[in-house]
Amino acid sequence: MTAPAAFAGLTALASPMQMGQLPDWTALAPVLILAVTGLVLLLIDSIDADTTNSALLAGVSTLGAAAALAATAWSLATGVGQDGGAITLFADALVVDGMSLFFTAIFTSVVVMVTIASYDYLRDHKHQGEFYSLVLFAASGMALMASANSLATVLVSLELASLPSYVLVAYLKENRGSVEAGLKYFLIGALSAAVFTFGISLVYAATGSLIFADIAEALSGGEFVGIAGLGVLMVAGGFAFKTASVPFHFWAPEAYEGAPAPVSAFLSSASKAAGFAVAFRVFVEAFPLATIPEGINWVLAFQILAVVTMTLGNFAAATQENVKRMLAYSSIGHAGYALIGLAALSAGGSANGNVLGASMAHLFVYGFMNTGAFLFIAMVERWGVGRTFEDYNGLATQAPVACVAMSVFMFSLAGLPPFGGFFSKYFLFFEAIENGFWWLAAIGALNSVLSLFYYSRVVRAMWFEDPSGSFELGSQPVGLYAAVMIAAVGTVLLLPGFPPVIETAQTVAGTLFA
Amino acid sequence: MVPPQYYLLLAAAIFCIGLFGILTRRNALLFLMSVELMLNAANINLVAFSVYWGNVTGQTLSLFTMALAAAEVAIGIGIILTLYRNFGDVDVTDAASMRW
Amino acid sequence: MNPWIAIGALAVVGIGIPIGMMAVSSLLRPSVPEQGKSATYESGEIPTGTARIQFNIQYYMVALLFVVFDIETVLIFPWTVIYRSALEQGVSLGAVLTPMLVFVGILVVGLLWAWRNGAVEWVKSPRATRRKTERQS
Repeated sequence: MTAPAAFAGLTALASPMQMGQLPDWTALAPVLILAVTGLVLLLIDSIDADTTNSALLAGVSTLGAAAALAATAWSLATGVGQDGGAITLFADALVVDGMSLFFTAIFTSVVVMVTIASYDYLRDHKHQGEFYSLVLFAASGMALMASANSLATVLVSLELASLPSYVLVAYLKENRGSVEAGLKYFLIGALSAAVFTFGISLVYAATGSLIFADIAEALSGGEFVGIAGLGVLMVAGGFAFKTASVPFHFWAPEAYEGAPAPVSAFLSSASKAAGFAVAFRVFVEAFPLATIPEGINWVLAFQILAVVTMTLGNFAAATQENVKRMLAYSSIGHAGYALIGLAALSAGGSANGNVLGASMAHLFVYGFMNTGAFLFIAMVERWGVGRTFEDYNGLATQAPVACVAMSVFMFSLAGLPPFGGFFSKYFLFFEAIENGFWWLAAIGALNSVLSLFYYSRVVRAMWFEDPSGSFELGSQPVGLYAAVMIAAVGTVLLLPGFPPVIETAQTVAGTLFA
Repeated sequence: MVPPQYYLLLAAAIFCIGLFGILTRRNALLFLMSVELMLNAANINLVAFSVYWGNVTGQTLSLFTMALAAAEVAIGIGIILTLYRNFGDVDVTDAASMRW
Repeated sequence: MNPWIAIGALAVVGIGIPIGMMAVSSLLRPSVPEQGKSATYESGEIPTGTARIQFNIQYYMVALLFVVFDIETVLIFPWTVIYRSALEQGVSLGAVLTPMLVFVGILVVGLLWAWRNGAVEWVKSPRATRRKTERQS
């Protein structure tokens, strides 16, 4: 960034835009609300250091996340930064457009569900204020990731989202599983962050800029192709970690199994979507297929990653006995489906925007159904029921409503016809075929059929098997119930509500290619 | 002026030393040090090519990288501390109660 | 001329000066060997045990806070570099100051939290307190 550009950024911050409009920086309102809520929670915790007032803490964080969600929805509805009028801030370091708002809507919805559920899950724990503020800091990092328009902001926001996540996974610091999960997540995260940073430095070495548009322009000149290619590969590795895709996926089963279940829900839905948000923007805008030199063929890399990720995730999930671990591997499989959004792109392909948009819509639906499934696990953990499929036998006799919700999540994750997950997968595969990648769609469809096997095991255990022992479910956790119900209603409502979602997603994705 | 290839080679060498440390050492603290090496290899690239291209973007980002590295170490040591309390050692292979 | 020559010359001078000073002083000084000179602490404190002991975990808390807040000054540095020229080019004082005030404000919230949660308080272990009272009595 040159000095005059920096000043331009400063003045843009201070001076409102043309008459009657909000100043530009208010477009960042969702991020700001999330960050400020996190700070307010820290202040509450400072005023009363030992507070275990869950209602206050969970209430403030849920309110903050809901306010951020409302701001996002309002921005989406009023067309802030859309229709080609993307708002750039801080000398092009950040951009607010339809895509960033779409992803922010995913993150904030997940945060709302997670904070409501944590109210019960954390009841007997110390250090609750820290938990909620870390969740909100991580969420603001994710929202910032979706808005990043320069590799510098990508790096900083990615770390802002990752660092609180490490702590959240190791939150139960007297539980060996949680600590082990946190350690593994941290070790692989630190390694991939180092690889990612080195990749950024190589891209900078080859292009002399970190702003996406400038990188694309410099790369089209065709200088330093070798260095740039290595850099692109390493940057892709960093995203593979964040999205739990193959070369850096080892942390995912451990972290999701060991972490507190609401944190698993948060990481596997919001954190994954954030990784995809930034990967989509970086690869489409900074390394565009149309102008990138011949030697840097990242589409091929993503095709391999997508196929390996979804196959490995689904096969590993099919062999699990532990339900939470099965969901962890299925989450890796879904990362493979979402990767089709990048793998099925082609230079000048007619359906590029549509396939990317379908992938975004799939992540949106996934945000609800996967969060709900993990929160159901949280509720089961709270009840003290075991973790394997056999322990779930006959659960429906005790908690029929929750089990209906869980069945909805399972069938939707598997992609059975009458649920939201079916439409998102259908559109994803359909658009991939439209863009000329029928074999990607075929592998995806085969994997979906396989996934039906292990998802239906949960449903069969809950509804059709006889209980192996007697259940003592005890109290009804109100917050967890409410969160699971919100997720279930969201998943069901996405059935009639899918057309607007996919339209929005494909429109905003199309503007990336314009 | 020193040709930029030399900086690239130096950075790549330091990065590989760090990577080697990560792959061979089982002590969590040595792991952290190796990650620091890898991050500083990136810093060398950023600063060197900042001079090469004649803008300060790389230098500024290297400042951010340093701050991020410090934050990462702070959190890493916290996690290693809880690891020591729970497993009685800082060997990363000790924590293997969940199967791969 | 090869630019590496200058670097080589710098290295030669950098190594040569300390070696030369040590050589000259060893030629000039009188030699009076004495046992007290080789002690670790010339104050008379006799060291016991090894240095490889477990330190109190509270040193870690202080060191951690130091690392974090020390490194944050790195992020203030670019701001100080453009501060004056930004003012000269007509950017208003508020627009220049506000971002840094917000940044420092966030750090203050963090410090306040750490303080209130006892990160900077030196908690005495019961054993240390007991030993102290025993020694006094």
